[in-house]
Amino acid sequence: MSTPGYAELHCLSNFSFQRGASSAQELFQRARQHGYQALAITDECTLAGIVRAWQAARATGLALIVGSEVRLHNGPKLVLLAENLSGYQHLCKLITLGRRRAKKGEYQLLREDFDKPLEGLLALWVPDGAEDDLATGRWLREVFAQRLWLAVELHRGPDDPRRLQQLLGLAASLGIAAVASGDVHMHARGRRALQDSMTAIRHHCSVAEAGQRLFANGERHLRPLAQLAELYPQALLEESLRIAARCRFDLGQLRYQYPRELVPEGQTASAWLRHLCEQGQRWRWPEGIGDKARQSLEHELELIAELNYESYFLTVHDIVNFARGQGILCQGRGSAANSVVCYVLGITELDPLKSHLLFERFLSRERDEPPDIDVDFEHERREEVLQYVFRRYGRHRAALTAVASTYHAAGAVRDIARVLGLPAQQINALADCCGRWSDRLPPPEQLREAGFDPDSPLLRRVLALTGELIGFPRHLSQHPGGFVISEQPLDSLVPVENAAMEDRTVIQWDKDDLDLVGLLKVDILALGMLSALRRCFDLLYRHRGRQLTLASIPADCTATYEMIGRADTVGVFQIESRAQMAMLPRLKPKNFYDLVIEVAIVRPGPIQGDMVHPYLRRRQGLEPVNYPSEALQKVFERTLGVPLFQEQVMELAMVASGYSAGEADQLRRAMAAWKRHGGLEPHRERLTRGMLDNGYSAEFAERIFEQIKGFGSYGFPESHAASFALLTYASCWLKCHEPAIFACALINSWPMGFYSPDQILQDARRHRIEIRPVDVCHSDWDCSLEPGAGQALAIRLGLRQVRGFRQQDAQRIEQARAERGWRDVSDLCQRARLDARARELLADAGALRGLASDRYRARWSVAAVQAQLPLFAGIEAPLEAPVDLPQPSLSEDMFADYASVGTTLGPHPLTLLRRRLTALGCRSAQALEQAEHGDRVSVAGLVTGRQRPGTASGVTFVTLEDEFGNVNVVVWRDLAERQRRVLVGAQLMRVTGRLECESGVRHLIAQRLEDLSPLLQGLDVRSRDFH
Amino acid sequence: MLWACILLPQLALDAALRARDDADTPLVLLSGPAQRRVLQAVNPPAAALGLRAGQSLTTAQALAGSFTCVEHDPAAIEQLQQFLAAWAYRFSSQVSLHYPRVLLLEVESSLGLFGPWPAFEARLRAELRALGFRHRIVLASNPVAARMLANVHDGLALECPQQTRAALEQMPIDRVGLPAEAASAFARMGLRQLGQVLALPRDALARRFAAPVQLHLDRLLGRRPMALGFYVPPDRFDARLELNFDVESHQALLFPLRRLINDLAAFLAGRDSGVQRFALHLEHAEGPDTCVPVGLLAAERDPSLLFELARGRLEQLQIAAPVRNLRLLAEDLPAFVPQRSELFDPRPQQNQPWEQLRERLRARLGDEAVRGLTAQADHRPECAWHSGNGPRQAPPVSSAPRPGWLLVEPQALPGIGVQLLTGAERIESGWWDGGDVRRDYYRVRTASGLQGWAYRTLGEDGPLWLQGWFA
Repeated sequence: MSTPGYAELHCLSNFSFQRGASSAQELFQRARQHGYQALAITDECTLAGIVRAWQAARATGLALIVGSEVRLHNGPKLVLLAENLSGYQHLCKLITLGRRRAKKGEYQLLREDFDKPLEGLLALWVPDGAEDDLATGRWLREVFAQRLWLAVELHRGPDDPRRLQQLLGLAASLGIAAVASGDVHMHARGRRALQDSMTAIRHHCSVAEAGQRLFANGERHLRPLAQLAELYPQALLEESLRIAARCRFDLGQLRYQYPRELVPEGQTASAWLRHLCEQGQRWRWPEGIGDKARQSLEHELELIAELNYESYFLTVHDIVNFARGQGILCQGRGSAANSVVCYVLGITELDPLKSHLLFERFLSRERDEPPDIDVDFEHERREEVLQYVFRRYGRHRAALTAVASTYHAAGAVRDIARVLGLPAQQINALADCCGRWSDRLPPPEQLREAGFDPDSPLLRRVLALTGELIGFPRHLSQHPGGFVISEQPLDSLVPVENAAMEDRTVIQWDKDDLDLVGLLKVDILALGMLSALRRCFDLLYRHRGRQLTLASIPADCTATYEMIGRADTVGVFQIESRAQMAMLPRLKPKNFYDLVIEVAIVRPGPIQGDMVHPYLRRRQGLEPVNYPSEALQKVFERTLGVPLFQEQVMELAMVASGYSAGEADQLRRAMAAWKRHGGLEPHRERLTRGMLDNGYSAEFAERIFEQIKGFGSYGFPESHAASFALLTYASCWLKCHEPAIFACALINSWPMGFYSPDQILQDARRHRIEIRPVDVCHSDWDCSLEPGAGQALAIRLGLRQVRGFRQQDAQRIEQARAERGWRDVSDLCQRARLDARARELLADAGALRGLASDRYRARWSVAAVQAQLPLFAGIEAPLEAPVDLPQPSLSEDMFADYASVGTTLGPHPLTLLRRRLTALGCRSAQALEQAEHGDRVSVAGLVTGRQRPGTASGVTFVTLEDEFGNVNVVVWRDLAERQRRVLVGAQLMRVTGRLECESGVRHLIAQRLEDLSPLLQGLDVRSRDFH
Repeated sequence: MLWACILLPQLALDAALRARDDADTPLVLLSGPAQRRVLQAVNPPAAALGLRAGQSLTTAQALAGSFTCVEHDPAAIEQLQQFLAAWAYRFSSQVSLHYPRVLLLEVESSLGLFGPWPAFEARLRAELRALGFRHRIVLASNPVAARMLANVHDGLALECPQQTRAALEQMPIDRVGLPAEAASAFARMGLRQLGQVLALPRDALARRFAAPVQLHLDRLLGRRPMALGFYVPPDRFDARLELNFDVESHQALLFPLRRLINDLAAFLAGRDSGVQRFALHLEHAEGPDTCVPVGLLAAERDPSLLFELARGRLEQLQIAAPVRNLRLLAEDLPAFVPQRSELFDPRPQQNQPWEQLRERLRARLGDEAVRGLTAQADHRPECAWHSGNGPRQAPPVSSAPRPGWLLVEPQALPGIGVQLLTGAERIESGWWDGGDVRRDYYRVRTASGLQGWAYRTLGEDGPLWLQGWFA
């Protein structure tokens, strides 16, 4: 008997979440081994996995048929296959329709959706064996006419021959053809256990409870042709080939077009972009563009025209232009950072001529990569920009890209352990063994440590299944800001579905899928610091009459760099973390490029690649700077011979190992991905060989490679660092020259950044800025500025600082107060229409100090304010005899301040304890300044930070705060383990240890920890509100 | 009246510890959803490790290496409270479980029997200690005051309202049972002790606080009464018939038995319950009673059914000595779920209803011989059912044809004369419990014409294995 041919037309990949138990790659490889002639991927009402399937198809050389399985609401199950482009477009629209109608993750398709002709779409009908099959079949025959088949799916059920006869009879009575298909859920029988587990995951039960919801056997895999021939008549198998031959659609036929409306009628995109650049150049350089800039501009425009990217730049320009019109601050990063075009279009504020950047131009002819521009917007107003894009292009033409979230080890082991019936506690313990983002199974030793026996049958099952599940897609979520915009309706390219957030729609493909199909995306991201900076500029204009922008902030300010060198950088962008602050006094940045390096160097990549210390030593002149060759000197000169940036690694590969630009780009991608997928080894060989050939030493090559590995996925591009450094400089300049404005803007933009409003305010007070308390007679919702002593401004705390207070209430207070001031508490409550909750919050915050003296009396007063009918408004409340209430004590006020406003303007808690602490032998942060390197000292402070960075091998960094400032404490691993309770639990901690001072950086190396928290209770035993 | 409050501060923990003998092992009680397990209570060794109630389990695991975790079980606590109430009922007829983890006893009327109070209190404490419950006891002139004073006191005995008020005035404002928002409002006005609040003018308070606040303050001072629900001991049925003469035969016992059973049925009907288990005590003139336990598969209350059953059991018995009294004791009295009965009952007169037949069979053949059968959703035939009682919801059963009679162990089927009637039905399932099967099943006809169900394991040659018979 000759082997019959077969094409599988009904097959799910793992993008049918919690159903398909094999990846497209596995399916295609197996189908090819079995000699299938084509494979359809028909994930349930989704095309999210189709680009990956396409990749797999190309890699194996087996034809892909694009399709989708859908179950109609109260109707039949169909497998829809795209015969041609038109069929594909109908499929996308149909899926979009079904998905948009339901909530995220679900779909609903109705019979009437099939009323219009769906040309180019073939349908296989999978009958349910129900009584109304015949009626359903008649309806389907009307809808699809000659494009309908009856799918015969035999899986060695109770009586396959009889079922076959029934189905053939049904097909004959309807006059439609029957075809064999497999309802494939996995590539091989060996995935049966995983498939059962996924079913149980989907039904939120254990496999043992899943019962009949599991398939009775593992036949739903890609079966060898011989087995199929046993089950199906030859004709049914041959029919599958005929259908496969009809399906000629290929994803490569998709043509994506940029929106055209950005170019006025009668213009070309190229001419229009040039026109906009001319405009922008006059705006940027009113006194005339220099030769150098002119040259760069011409070069870039030429390149853009050659690569056909005009529309991309026009799109980004349009978005940025909108933001500017709305007064929303934005800043591009990525390849935009060193581009004259982006500068004159307003996409970046970084003047490429002033910033002394030396890296490669923003686009390269050889590197075939799309431009990569991310634009950051003020975090509170990014939504306006998103909604503008939706409005401008319509929801049918603009959507966010998706992110296919995959199973990490912890999530996978959780789901598997749950369906195997492990108790919750053990599930947690297993997940803890996996670490947070790891994609690997925990090693056996670690499991034993956690009390598991990795050799027990149950655990072996758990681990084997977890291993299979890791890396599987789990659900689609929305990309933080990647937009796809198109000329045609998007749903003719790719299905669109609802995101979890309201008013958002998401396409079913993620970023990598887009690249493969040639769609371009624009990243619209949110950045808190931009909100703060815009507020700074507003306040600067209001209170100082000075108009500044990111671009016009005075550059190269010595005072600013001096401040940075002192690590006086609480609240500024990027260089505010403890690790960054520890680096500043050693690095002492002097110019903008130093800031670029500072931003890039204190990151996991350079730290793990051991680049920080060589760079520091060289910069301090402790170690000579030498280059292995003249060619490499050019590459590494700006970072003193230490590779810091992705761009440098790419250049190195080209210069020293003879990589082409395209290959260098592959290296960059491999660097980003090796931790998760490996794939760096081929480069090790290639790089080493190239370097040896070019006369470099093997030892040098080895070191370079290790550094590249250290970069890992954290490697920071210079282009990003430069964009960030601009914001760093701007924020530092403002902090240096207008500290009150800066602090005020920062708090009003909170939550953002590293520090709490309390810490920012304490820093401000240390800089002698007057802070005034919340007061309904003066405070707005936001913190505001009031004239202070001399030229100085004082910060008036806003009502936003009152925990739980609502903005609407604050706005009513502002409005009513603008008419006239308050007569008394009840006047306030009535005119500002404050409910009991708002009144009490104000009283507790001490915000009624102007009307009702202290908190206790304020609370007593507001309790008596009753909701009054408008008729009686203005009628005096009955007079009451005064009541004898106690006075709040200093410490009571302090605790109440912390509980309600999150900060205190009275004495710092440690002031109240100072005498007792001194008696205990503790020094203050101030006194610590006098101590010297190596001194054994004891300090006490509130624990404001505990950090255990992954890069610092078991070290915990503790920050103690007292009334004078912060003390940085280093706790080594063994001490941390011995005194874990104190370390984790203490609110007020005493640390005894040795002081280390190096280049102005002071750390206390802890030798003993002590929990002094009971002292805080001693301040006021009756209060438990301390946070 | 005088009220004693017995506060059981660690009831849940004590419940867990009572069941264990390892008092030195750190032990914590856990509660909360799986994502956020929280320590509900800790024993002293666990507290010494730094563990505290309210910590998350994750934090606790970060603090201490090993400790025993016990699940907090509210139902068990509820039972324990009932048990304690029954215990307290011996000391007072007015016992209230109004407050959780608290027994309130009206003791003035009991003082004659158990008093004076110091002796009474000592006895309560001794018994509670023996039972393994930590406790605080306060005596006050009204129940609410006693309850609230127990929050901070132990051993306080205030026999008049003046003393009670004086003690109350010293109480922290957040410990006197005021609504939380009122307590915090007082605290935020600087009023930290109840005395400060009681000193305020009533009308000023009334303007500022809702009525329940004033009501609670009045109750604390005993100015207004509080309606307490009192504990009622559970029902049981215990009846005895004295026989006029010594009986030595079953036959003579049947009449008194029927009367007792009828009384029982009436009693059951009155409280709308059924009986699942009861015992007949045959009290002899000499020697210990003979006890005949009678158990049912489900709660019933039909007198003829109960009688049949009891008679069945009685008749199996060898009456060793003359019986003087007959006693019927029923304590297991669950709710009764009545049968549906048809308007036109199609059963012929002679037919026994199924329940009666079932119980009769059980009585005759023994409890072990008659068992319930429950279907279980599992593709493996041998796992698709299990024996057991209980009207549990049956899971949906597969529509595939299955034999009515499954063999205990599959038997090899001799190959001769066996005819396959269907194609193979493949079953591959059960990998998760180590009992994975991979088999092809066939409906077969044996040489003798019987229809059976047989399989062959995948990848194995050899005989078919017969697993069941079709009817």
